[in-house]
Amino acid sequence: MIIGIIDFGLGNLYSVAGAVEKLNHTALISSRADELEKSDKLILPGVGAFADGMKNLNELGLAAPLSELVLSKKKPIIGICLGFQLMAEESYEFGKTKGLGWIPASVIKLEPDEMEIRVPHVGWNDMLQVNTDKLFQDIPKDALFYYTHSFHVDCRDIVCTIGTCDYGGTFTSVFHDDNIYGTQFHPEKSQLNGLNLLKNFIEKC
Amino acid sequence: MLRNRLITVLTFNDGVLFRTKHFDPDYRYTHNFVDAWSTDEIVALDITRPGEGNRDTFLTIVRQLASKCFVPLAAGGGIKNADNIKELLNNGADKIIINTEAVKNPGIITKAATLFGTQCVVVSIDAKKYDDQDYEVFIEYGKKPSGLDPAEWAEKAQDLGAGEIMITSINRDGSLEGYDNELNRMVSEAVDIPVLVCGGAGKWQDFVDGVELGKASAVCTTNIYHFTETSINSAKKYMHEAGINVRL
Repeated sequence: MIIGIIDFGLGNLYSVAGAVEKLNHTALISSRADELEKSDKLILPGVGAFADGMKNLNELGLAAPLSELVLSKKKPIIGICLGFQLMAEESYEFGKTKGLGWIPASVIKLEPDEMEIRVPHVGWNDMLQVNTDKLFQDIPKDALFYYTHSFHVDCRDIVCTIGTCDYGGTFTSVFHDDNIYGTQFHPEKSQLNGLNLLKNFIEKC
Repeated sequence: MLRNRLITVLTFNDGVLFRTKHFDPDYRYTHNFVDAWSTDEIVALDITRPGEGNRDTFLTIVRQLASKCFVPLAAGGGIKNADNIKELLNNGADKIIINTEAVKNPGIITKAATLFGTQCVVVSIDAKKYDDQDYEVFIEYGKKPSGLDPAEWAEKAQDLGAGEIMITSINRDGSLEGYDNELNRMVSEAVDIPVLVCGGAGKWQDFVDGVELGKASAVCTTNIYHFTETSINSAKKYMHEAGINVRL
């Protein structure tokens, strides 16, 4: 399958593409909507600040055509970390910024309830599978994933939260609604379990 | 629960892994196997001295590591400006590590954090302990005193936008005598961000002590004898049995 990796000038596209190729699929890195439209599925990666991400998506003229592809044409897409956060309605990172608005959620700061819990949340942590999903096929219940973030996606529609993580409070770790998926962790950095999750997205979802 | 990390640090001199096995450099071996050893993260440092060797060689190594290792990769060594950072990220690094330049020009921390996010910025601090028990931060490959106190500098680096601190004891580096956990604890208690400790690990118990006594979020090791295929697993098993939360 051809997996379109959305290049909006932020994030480590190299490792996402490497993971797709490791799974024997074709990675197409592009910032052109017409090229991305021809791919079978999309990945919205991203590392960095929310406002920069939205600014770049708008300046590249990607926000509107991507919304069309995802919301009207229902092309399957998975957002990773900042890519997942950008799908929300708005973010409160460095002031309020409007997001792509694909999912009923806001992006808010991690505020652990215990003093000794450090932010950013960096490292390997759990993902509790709260719903069964094709995305989780063959992923052990105790699988660990690599997180690195200070903000998280606060979902208003609880049914869409299929995986959670507890870090001084529970947040949405994995999201699924119709053709839209998102992970707060980095599957491309989470070794075998991460690769299996991406494989499920590409081949089963 | 968030696990404590065991990080593999690889140091490269003009493209060659600085550690050797039987006196032969062997970095291809590292590329192929480091991922399978269940390391939690890789740190790649370019220790090529200015004017000796080619920076592009290190970028190629970063690219090769990134394409084969599906774990987080932090890269640094010789970073002077935002373009150097961008080069490393474009070649597959997830985070960058700044040391000397952060001391000389602290604004680079804020600039990097604004451009790439705080989670991307690791500030590395090399500290020397004097006979009178005082500590001082050294820069330029641990050769030049900076006048800074490690804990105070770590706190300032955090305020400027660092996402993690990596603290290395110059005295303990390569000694196999264990970490300087007094130094580690001082730094760790001065900040609210994760702290990576480095320098001196020689046995599995040192990793446990780094977490328990040094309050480290992650323990690092550079020594080659940790790099045999089963050793990261044995280290983690030991840590697990000692009650440390690690990813097995």
